[in-house]
Amino acid sequence: MIATASGTRVATAREPRHVPGQPDMWFFVLFESLVFTSYFCVYLFNRARHETAFLQGQSHLILWLGVVDTIVLLTSSWAVACGVQHARAGRYQAARRDAILTAACGLVFLALKIVEWARLIHMGKTFTSSQFFQYYFFLTGIHCVHLLIGFIVLGVLVVQLSGEHRRSQVVVETCATYWHTVDFFWVLIFALLYVVR
Amino acid sequence: METTFNRRLFAVWLVLVGITLTYLWIDHAVGGGALPKTSSAVTVAAICLALVKVRIIMREFMEVRHAPRLLCHLTDLLVVVMAAALLGAYAAGRLVA
Repeated sequence: MIATASGTRVATAREPRHVPGQPDMWFFVLFESLVFTSYFCVYLFNRARHETAFLQGQSHLILWLGVVDTIVLLTSSWAVACGVQHARAGRYQAARRDAILTAACGLVFLALKIVEWARLIHMGKTFTSSQFFQYYFFLTGIHCVHLLIGFIVLGVLVVQLSGEHRRSQVVVETCATYWHTVDFFWVLIFALLYVVR
Repeated sequence: METTFNRRLFAVWLVLVGITLTYLWIDHAVGGGALPKTSSAVTVAAICLALVKVRIIMREFMEVRHAPRLLCHLTDLLVVVMAAALLGAYAAGRLVA
């Protein structure tokens, strides 16, 4: 693998392709993706059966807030992806800075979610208000559980990058893979809760 | 001088943000607001765009494009299975509605 001026990697004929991070994390990613897909299928099936009722619930969400949430998480994913490349190149200070930026974006996302939940609860829209809000609070809630676990993962990442004797590229890539998974789950949740009609 | 800014990753981020902003355009085009209307086209488009974003995240941010072919194929298969399952569930729901 060689690095170009733009920082991208070009696979050479000699170097074998490698699994980013620990393979176990990829089993987790694939398994969790299928679990989330099953949640989404149940939601979409019920939504298609009661479209008008779901649209009424959906109309209480603010689309641009969901867009901001998504851009914040995409930015966090970008930052951690940059961090992986910095760590690979031995630029550990930059990688640590990227990991902290990732966590900061995660905190902004969490704050926006709490504000949105508070706003909806203040409007009387709770888990038991309607079928739509049952799915809304379940999906956003379970995503936030994954996000909170992500903060622990990012903590591990920062500790890894801080100590000279603890640095492991495999662990760095594993932590990043987990965070990207949290990101793409939100990408799907956002489309299904805020955009579909 | 060593270049530490990765232009490819930044371009990927821009594409992902661009697709996200497309949702605002879609919502505006079909008359978003207080009383939105049902639309299968919007639903299908939203699901497909989200899955395109998932694949981009996997390929570029998660570095699957540098991974062994098995992982490339598995992640592609996952996206296809997700697309079939989500669109199938939506179609089934409409059929029994």
